[in-house]
Amino acid sequence: MNATLAVLAKDLRLAWRDRAGWLTAGAFAAISVLTYSFAFDLATTDVRPLLPGVLWTTFLFAGVFASGAGFQSEAEEGTFDALLLAPVSPTVVFVGKLLCNFIALVVIEFALLIAATILFDEPLLTPELVAIVMLGTAGYVSLTTLLGTLGSGPRIRAVLLPVMALPLLVPMLIAAVRATGESLGLFGGDAPWMLLLGVFAVWSALVAALLFPMAVER
Amino acid sequence: MNAITRAYGLRWVVLPPLVGAGILAMLVGAVVAAPRELVEGDVQRLMYIHVPSAQAMYLAFGVVFVASILVLWKRDMRWDAVARGAASVGVLFTGFALVTGMLWGKPTWGVYWQWDARLTSTLVLFLVYAAYLLARAVSDPSDEQAARYSAVYAIVGFLDVPLIVMSVRWWRTLHPQPIVARLDPQLPDSMLLVLLISTLAIYLLAIWLIALRTDTERLGQRLLGLRAAVDRREEA
Repeated sequence: MNATLAVLAKDLRLAWRDRAGWLTAGAFAAISVLTYSFAFDLATTDVRPLLPGVLWTTFLFAGVFASGAGFQSEAEEGTFDALLLAPVSPTVVFVGKLLCNFIALVVIEFALLIAATILFDEPLLTPELVAIVMLGTAGYVSLTTLLGTLGSGPRIRAVLLPVMALPLLVPMLIAAVRATGESLGLFGGDAPWMLLLGVFAVWSALVAALLFPMAVER
Repeated sequence: MNAITRAYGLRWVVLPPLVGAGILAMLVGAVVAAPRELVEGDVQRLMYIHVPSAQAMYLAFGVVFVASILVLWKRDMRWDAVARGAASVGVLFTGFALVTGMLWGKPTWGVYWQWDARLTSTLVLFLVYAAYLLARAVSDPSDEQAARYSAVYAIVGFLDVPLIVMSVRWWRTLHPQPIVARLDPQLPDSMLLVLLISTLAIYLLAIWLIALRTDTERLGQRLLGLRAAVDRREEA
């Protein structure tokens, strides 16, 4: 537990010192929402049918981008290999990194929700939507952290990570978009979307925590 | 184990004639012997390649899953060759299933593509394994780190299949319901027989192709190993 917190503190400190990576992800998310506004003319029409999709594609792209970029410097400096030499289980290291990515992404997502609330005059910071965003983020962050930290070489992180991660995240994306739509008062179908989000979050965390140590063992 | 090794050694003797005979029987059965479907017409004959291709896809991706677990567990690059070989064959048959399905869909449903649950989840599956092949293609065939990374991705992808199928089913649901895999098959006996022959033929073809691809990947790995050894000797 202490080791996990140590890794988390180290990663958060690194993220704070090297703000460029995370700021780029945040700026990317902001630009993406702006681009969608022009593309779908969100300024004049009823935004509710489009907003869930706009928010979640933005979250996902920013999340996949950030998990690759946030790890870049550590891979270049070789600190990741050094970290694995520490006399703790690799799972502990992974959970620390996971928590760091989760916190950083939630910060970006909430900034975006506040911005969207102002821009589209739609109350987005409801307890229900906050729960959906947290659960959805927990669902995708395990897989993007797993793929982002294991991928060797900048080529995989920069280009292939979205191609690899996004098909795996289809269930989570569908569930999150439908659940968000329902919380905005749209008809989402009869399916238990929150349950699917929860199952995906637990499944991805378990699979990632199980496979990470097997993949990095030297 | 010895018997399996000996049987595997005979693959180049046994498989090609079996596959040839099977594919010939499949073609004769599908094009000539099977009766013409009354409503759909001759286009229904695509079923004899469509359904077996989908079955072969599951077989190949199952092999990728098992071989990927063995890559992580046994640390043997031979399993990486098997996983890559099976993945490329699986992607090929997924492509077959999608294309024959679309060719059948146009005259039957009036459109090539429907965002139906089964079609969509097969497309997502195609994308997952295409991404696997891409990730493996940009790295060195003998790079163990990259092999483990791809193995992790293949395992996550395979375990993701039930979730993908479930979520897409809840999202949309036009594909003909299964008519063979139930207690009272609704297919006439003559059609069922041709379908069984076709399935057997395509299974054999898939196994043969997986063996071919695996041997090719293995040769690629050994070639790189030999090159590295030559370089080391020249440096010394």
